[in-house]
Amino acid sequence: MDTSNPAVFVNAELLRLYVGRRVRAVIQVLRSDGGVVTGKSTDDNQILVKGSPTSPLSKFVEVVGIADGEKSIHAEIWTNFGDTFETHTYNQLCQLANGEFKHMFL
Amino acid sequence: MAVNLTPNAIAAIESGDVNAKPLVQVLDIKLIGSTQERYRLLLSDAVSTQHAMLATQLNDRVKSGRVRKGSVVQLVEYICSPVQNRKIIVVLNMETIIPDCEIIGNPKSLVESDSAAQKPLFNGNLVQSARVSNNNFSAQKPGHNVQNFPPTVQPPYKPPPNYKNHGPILKNDAPARIIPIAALNPYQGRWAIKARVTAKGDLRRYNNARGDGKVFSFDLLDSDGGEIRVTCFNAVVDRFYDAIELGKVYMISKGSLKPAQKNYNHLKNEWEIFLEATSMVELCPDEDGSIPRQQFSFRPISEIENAENNSILDVIGVVISVNPSVPILRKNGMETQRRILNLKDGSGRSVELTLWGEFCNREGQKLEEMINSGGFPVLAVKSGKVNDFSGKSIGTISATQLLINPDLPEAHGLRNWFDGVGKSASSVSISREIILGGSKNEIRKTVSQIKDEGFGRSDKPDWVTVKAAISFIKTDTFCYTACPLMIGDRQCNKKVTRSGNARWQCDRCNQEFEECDYRYLLQAQIQDHTGLTWVTAFQESGEEILGCSAKELYSLKYEDQDDDRFGGIIRSRLFIQYLFRLKIKEEMYGDEQRVKITVVKVDNVNYSSEGRYMLDLISKFPRQ
Repeated sequence: MDTSNPAVFVNAELLRLYVGRRVRAVIQVLRSDGGVVTGKSTDDNQILVKGSPTSPLSKFVEVVGIADGEKSIHAEIWTNFGDTFETHTYNQLCQLANGEFKHMFL
Repeated sequence: MAVNLTPNAIAAIESGDVNAKPLVQVLDIKLIGSTQERYRLLLSDAVSTQHAMLATQLNDRVKSGRVRKGSVVQLVEYICSPVQNRKIIVVLNMETIIPDCEIIGNPKSLVESDSAAQKPLFNGNLVQSARVSNNNFSAQKPGHNVQNFPPTVQPPYKPPPNYKNHGPILKNDAPARIIPIAALNPYQGRWAIKARVTAKGDLRRYNNARGDGKVFSFDLLDSDGGEIRVTCFNAVVDRFYDAIELGKVYMISKGSLKPAQKNYNHLKNEWEIFLEATSMVELCPDEDGSIPRQQFSFRPISEIENAENNSILDVIGVVISVNPSVPILRKNGMETQRRILNLKDGSGRSVELTLWGEFCNREGQKLEEMINSGGFPVLAVKSGKVNDFSGKSIGTISATQLLINPDLPEAHGLRNWFDGVGKSASSVSISREIILGGSKNEIRKTVSQIKDEGFGRSDKPDWVTVKAAISFIKTDTFCYTACPLMIGDRQCNKKVTRSGNARWQCDRCNQEFEECDYRYLLQAQIQDHTGLTWVTAFQESGEEILGCSAKELYSLKYEDQDDDRFGGIIRSRLFIQYLFRLKIKEEMYGDEQRVKITVVKVDNVNYSSEGRYMLDLISKFPRQ
């Protein structure tokens, strides 16, 4: 398991703090046009994801990539998470992983 | 503000005029009675005064202050019954004309000593009527004792005119007036009620220290919404049992009134009518529609979650599932039928309804057919009993009434809701354990906590839920040969032995047969992050765990002797996480006590609720 380049669990609020770092986020796909996907983050804000997914996207998608702006990610990996997702639970995970339990996550 | 009270109103009432609707003034109001609230008014017509009892349905007028000392009121409906040498007025309806007024005229007030003198007479009467009553109710229901009237000043109870009594009794031969059921009380002289039969109980025979007897009851509802139960014993049963029909309207009079038996009688009335040989029950053939067919007070299913165990209530909902009837052995050795169905309403909750006995074959069967043909009928339940064995559920009792798709506004409302958004609306069952953190019944533990916290050591088994995975399954014996014969609706399942070469024998059924059944009897290890432990799993849990029938695995291993495939299947079922519901109990094995753990149910982990459960656990971690 390659742990050399871990991605931080982020929502829109946390994304701002990790510009330039490798991040991962789950978004609800709102729009997809011309190489940019507009997604709703798990804390109900907007995140722009640049890149071209290799296959059609489901309603919820996890993107892993470099945060290239306070509100955008340059995606390297797209993973479909299906049409139902517990956004609230994921959001709590982001907060715990960057707060109290940061030491457990690289 | 001067107002004239109706002259000679008191005298007029006492001489039998009950139509005058006089204006009188209330001089005094006294609360009487320890078991029930009754108000006694002192009425004045500016010259004379007289006590009058207020019918209980008017109690609110006093409590809210609409009628107080000094109020001038108009008596709208009232009766006057002569008892011994006194007249007792009962006010059934009145209107407050002036709430507050100075005392009008110069009324002669009653002297209290009169009342005191009544007391011994009253008590004497009481013993008399009690003795007389006992003679005529030869076999009373056990535990049904003689009345204890509260020792306050009240008009003496006039026994039904049949009974010879000491002292003169003025017989009132006027035809009995129809009064509302809510006005019935034992102090009434003559009364008559007109009401519809809303429930007819079964004829029950009983046997007690005094001998054999029979009893039946029926419930009445009148046009004011008053309800009361009527009970008949022994010979009286023969007189009226066939005459009383559910749904018909009757005029009933000359029964006696006693406190309602709250164990059996769930109607909102403190009294119950007991019919005697001289009671009158007349069928009223002309339906005037003023008397409703049935009275309900439905509670939303969400409120039932907080209802008290064993309480009686009405509920209405859409039937979303009906299970088949199963025979159940009762404690007295008798077998009965049971069916479980689920009701859903607009409160976001659903509840299990258990039908017992005849309900399974009648309404239960009909509902099953309706569900099977794709319908979702509305079901109204009157007098269901709350049960808190697992979550809260409702069961039928003998007094329960079930109405399918009734013509009620609540039913129409439910129908519209269900056909619109209701059908797909999510609802949580209050009858089953909710996975999130478990309901009150479900305790979540880890494997190590089972030993550390000493589960299984008390007299009763402990039930816990553990999230774990199977890490090992004993495969040398994983099933047993079971008897496939049916005993009633259930399979025998006793272990069978070989008889001869090709046949099996069951000792319980005393039969031999060619083919036996194979049922799981698994010994397995379950493991979580804290440790591992051995458990036993039977047929249903075994099938969940292994994902195939015991017979299939048996054939694979012993008939086809395909060890590779067999091993492959077993391995593929390991390390899948489940929520195991475990029954834990310490038992003697030879000389030592060992804790035996049985898997009662295997549930898949619901990731959304499990995620929420874990977040909740995290929030409860002690902080450094």
